[in-house]
Amino acid sequence: MDGYVIAQQLVNGLVLGAIYGLIAVGYTMVYGIIGMINFAHGEIYMISAYLTAIFLAVLLSFGLNSVALALLLTLILAIVFTGLYGYVIERIAYRPLRGSNRLAPLISAIGMSLVLQNYVRLSQGSRNQGAPALIEGAFRFGSDEHFVQITYIQSLIVIVSLISMGVLTWIIQRTALGRACRATQQDITMAQLLGVNTDRTISLVFVIGAAMAAVAGVLVTLNYGSFDFHIGFVTGIKAFTAAVLGGIGSLPGAMLGGLVLGLCESLFSGFVNTDYKDVFAFSILVLVLIFRPSGLLGRPAVEKV
Amino acid sequence: MSNAAHSWKGVLNEAARAGAAALLLFGPIVGLTLSGYELESHWSRAFILAGVVFVGRFVIAALFLHPRLGPWLERRFTRSGPAVVVDKGRRVHHVILTLLVIATAFALPFMLSKYWITVAILALIYVLLGLGLNIVVGLAGLLDLGFVAFYAVGAYGYALGHQYLGLSFWEALPFSAFLAALFGMVLGFPVLRMHGDYLAIVTLGFGEIIRLALNNWAQFTGGPNGVSAPAPTLFGIEFTRRAKQGGTPYHEFFGQWFDVSYNRAARYVFLYLALLVVVLALIHVVQRLRKMPIGRAWEALREDEIACRSLGINHVTVKLSAFATGAMVGGVGGVFFAGSQGFVNPTSFTFFESALILAIVVLGGLGSVVGVIIAAVTLTVLPELLREFAAYRVLLFGLAMVVMMTWRPRGLLKLRRPSFALPKSTKSAPEAQS
Amino acid sequence: MHPSSRAFLSLVAGATALFAAHAASAAETIKIGVAGPFSGAYAAFGEQQWRGAEQAAKDINAAGGVMGKMIELAKGDDACEPKQAVAVANRLVDNDGIVAVAGHFCSSSTMPSSEVYADAGVLQMTHGSTNPQVTDRGIPTIFRMCGRDDQQGVVGAEFVINTLKAKNIAVLHDKTVYGKGLADAMMAHMKSLGLQPVLYEGLTQGEKDFNALVTKVKAAKSDAVYFGGLHAEAGPLVRQMREQGIDAPFVSGDGIVSEEFVLAAGGPQYVKNVFMTFGADPRRIAAGKALVEKFRAAGYEPEGYTLYSYAVIQSITQAIAGTKTTDADKLAKWLKTHGAQTVMGPKSWDAKGDLKVSDYVMYKWNDDGKYEQMD
Repeated sequence: MDGYVIAQQLVNGLVLGAIYGLIAVGYTMVYGIIGMINFAHGEIYMISAYLTAIFLAVLLSFGLNSVALALLLTLILAIVFTGLYGYVIERIAYRPLRGSNRLAPLISAIGMSLVLQNYVRLSQGSRNQGAPALIEGAFRFGSDEHFVQITYIQSLIVIVSLISMGVLTWIIQRTALGRACRATQQDITMAQLLGVNTDRTISLVFVIGAAMAAVAGVLVTLNYGSFDFHIGFVTGIKAFTAAVLGGIGSLPGAMLGGLVLGLCESLFSGFVNTDYKDVFAFSILVLVLIFRPSGLLGRPAVEKV
Repeated sequence: MSNAAHSWKGVLNEAARAGAAALLLFGPIVGLTLSGYELESHWSRAFILAGVVFVGRFVIAALFLHPRLGPWLERRFTRSGPAVVVDKGRRVHHVILTLLVIATAFALPFMLSKYWITVAILALIYVLLGLGLNIVVGLAGLLDLGFVAFYAVGAYGYALGHQYLGLSFWEALPFSAFLAALFGMVLGFPVLRMHGDYLAIVTLGFGEIIRLALNNWAQFTGGPNGVSAPAPTLFGIEFTRRAKQGGTPYHEFFGQWFDVSYNRAARYVFLYLALLVVVLALIHVVQRLRKMPIGRAWEALREDEIACRSLGINHVTVKLSAFATGAMVGGVGGVFFAGSQGFVNPTSFTFFESALILAIVVLGGLGSVVGVIIAAVTLTVLPELLREFAAYRVLLFGLAMVVMMTWRPRGLLKLRRPSFALPKSTKSAPEAQS
Repeated sequence: MHPSSRAFLSLVAGATALFAAHAASAAETIKIGVAGPFSGAYAAFGEQQWRGAEQAAKDINAAGGVMGKMIELAKGDDACEPKQAVAVANRLVDNDGIVAVAGHFCSSSTMPSSEVYADAGVLQMTHGSTNPQVTDRGIPTIFRMCGRDDQQGVVGAEFVINTLKAKNIAVLHDKTVYGKGLADAMMAHMKSLGLQPVLYEGLTQGEKDFNALVTKVKAAKSDAVYFGGLHAEAGPLVRQMREQGIDAPFVSGDGIVSEEFVLAAGGPQYVKNVFMTFGADPRRIAAGKALVEKFRAAGYEPEGYTLYSYAVIQSITQAIAGTKTTDADKLAKWLKTHGAQTVMGPKSWDAKGDLKVSDYVMYKWNDDGKYEQMD
């Protein structure tokens, strides 16, 4: 086993983990603030992949020949539109259920996820779709024979996710909006009494989560260039697993969970067996939860008996 | 819902906002479709959809504005009655109705074409699965997103049991039920400490693990090729054209005395009737369980775990028994599934299946047996009736889930709790149950 | 009456009335089922199938039909899911009253559904299920218009070993009936030639990130990669291989015979050095020339299984015309003795229902992202 292979697998895991982390943020924030699993979040990511390809095609057909500019515009448009999707979904499927029993929003979310999947399938077709490869090439370290590489897109994925996480942490920690978020998370009734518009705050959390999923959607579309209406499910489950692994409700936990999951998958696949990689990932989750029932960075829930 | 819309101007404003948002949402996805790296535009579709949203929103808002209809609607949407209704004894017409439904159910296969019998079989299997999950989610309040695992264990228990141990269908039934219950316990132990949503994700993971293991462990389970599972027999009488399991085909067996020719529907009629008997028996058992201390403990645990524990209920045994009982019922459903399909393979046990079963339980009203039956029958028969809308059916199905939850989060039927009246002759003992 | 019970009763009553309505159906046409994945991830293959079958029915009807009756097709969508396949088979047999079925496409659908058709006495001919088990289970009324994976795997293995002269071969599959079956068949022949694969692993259908697996392929110093699977996974896999600097030939089977493969790979630049096995291109056969032109004139390129599906409908109707019956056993016997004249040339079947002559050849994807038969 030479070092290059190990290093390459670490790179693979890091990139995969960064994507999981970005999507996991959406799960963890929503869970943190209203305590529900937003099952439709994976579909939001799927929609953002479609939006990316569509906006790219629109921009390129307008004769925009600067790749960097096209990408930036696509990113902005994807964030805006995906955010709108996040907002509307919350309004339609979750807000009317606030205060009802715990299962209702979850079922509603599963229903929403089916709706979104089939909405995209019916309007875009069930075929595999793709976006052209815009950025090619890689940083390579080592000799011509043995090298570790990280493609330009992969490095973009890592950098952009670090930046997004930084911005998000700043928003949550330093801005009025972040304070409102944290207040609502702590105690929704108290926050209302203190004049926080909790409905708006919750909507905003959905928009932020969707925006992060949009970032992931853009990056993934660039990286793999291939998607269909079904990608939201597999990736969504993995990202949710990452969120739980890191401790659901915790922002750094989502990123950490994503990285741990990505690295686990990549290393297990690389050095043991690809067939059982998902079995391993879920087993890790079960094990972590047995020994740390609230995840790696989650605060243990206080239970009074 | 109608706070902002108390005048016609407000209504119009509201509708315009909804329409504009719809246009923005539908614009890129519906209005532009990818075709290779190129786009095809279908702007009209996006505008039509946005128009529908605009009109729909307008009509709804206008209805709320109506002087009499509005307040009534508002009450309908905000009403939150008691979650559980205590059943006040049996009423005679209930019994008659139940008997009537059972009689219809028994007569059904002789009136339907074979295709509809297979649909009815599927519906009954989903009734079984719904009943099983109902124990875990509806009664015990443990959110299980991986119920399909037990279904798979049951189905594979029969198929593999037949292949390796030579079990017949009727031998496999208790075997698979026991196996599934065992899996339920195995899953139950580690998740005991977990809270609702962690439980959900772990059970989901468990469901996926089972499916992946069945798919990957090809030497034992046949992997993606699946395993064949023969149809059930009646004391060695087979319901196929030619005997496959060493028995006698039914038309030859009965042909000794009567004039019977082979009818392809016979095997499905038999399976349906067998399944119906099992379903009725299980409904009876579940109803009895609910009246027993263990059933009452499940429901108590669902309502308030902490209170239960402080009252001395052993939450470990209660939870484990719920998991095991639910899993057992799911396992029985799996055996029948394998028997009716004649073949099992891992693609039948995806998460979508778990979601469907959960939807049955929730739409039916958590905990309500009648609700589960109605929901299971509706969700399996409706898509078959809507074949023409085949492309839209999952979409409609999802929409129904969302609408149902916003309209009636507690499901179609209210949960009825059996009531008890102590016989007058005994001393007025305090309620001893639980 | 209790409201819920009333709802239930009316449901039962309504359903019963509806079932009764289904009972009567006239037999002025000859109905043939066309079952395949018309929705879901493999809808591309379903479209090829439907286009071919539809055109065949149109052409046969234009020429006067069969036995004085018109051919009518009944579409059945299984989305390549076994459970749906069984349901669709029951519906086609009972409600649509088909006398023969063309399909299904995925082996995992064909196998469970074949029990239904065999029991109902309906002739079944698949245009694309290549798993050996399809015909090996001893059902007398099942046929296929395509080859078998063990033949396809042999051709693939011979090509990799003899033509490409590869020594370190990585064998990958997608853990499906088709993909794993193909990979196993290829590996079996490879082992009989005395070569062990350096890597044998399965990836998960529906995923897009195969980087870890690709790194493993690279670490194993593979000089050829054989993949059993479909285009949706083959595309990203080959792209990630090229991105990680593996230029080794990528060889696969007939599961990537769709231009969507290029789309999934991210462009023609990634499908260089990609080979696949597929039946000799029917578009080159003289008998099919006119038909291919007809399709192209209508703006449709009859790629992949289009002509296979056309040939299936042709064979079934020829058997019906030849025997003047729709009895599956007689049709099967007729086909096995007479064979059929199809748009893909004359076809004949052995006792199991497999084609007597399998004509797998190698194809190569060229720089424009099109596939062409290698000579």
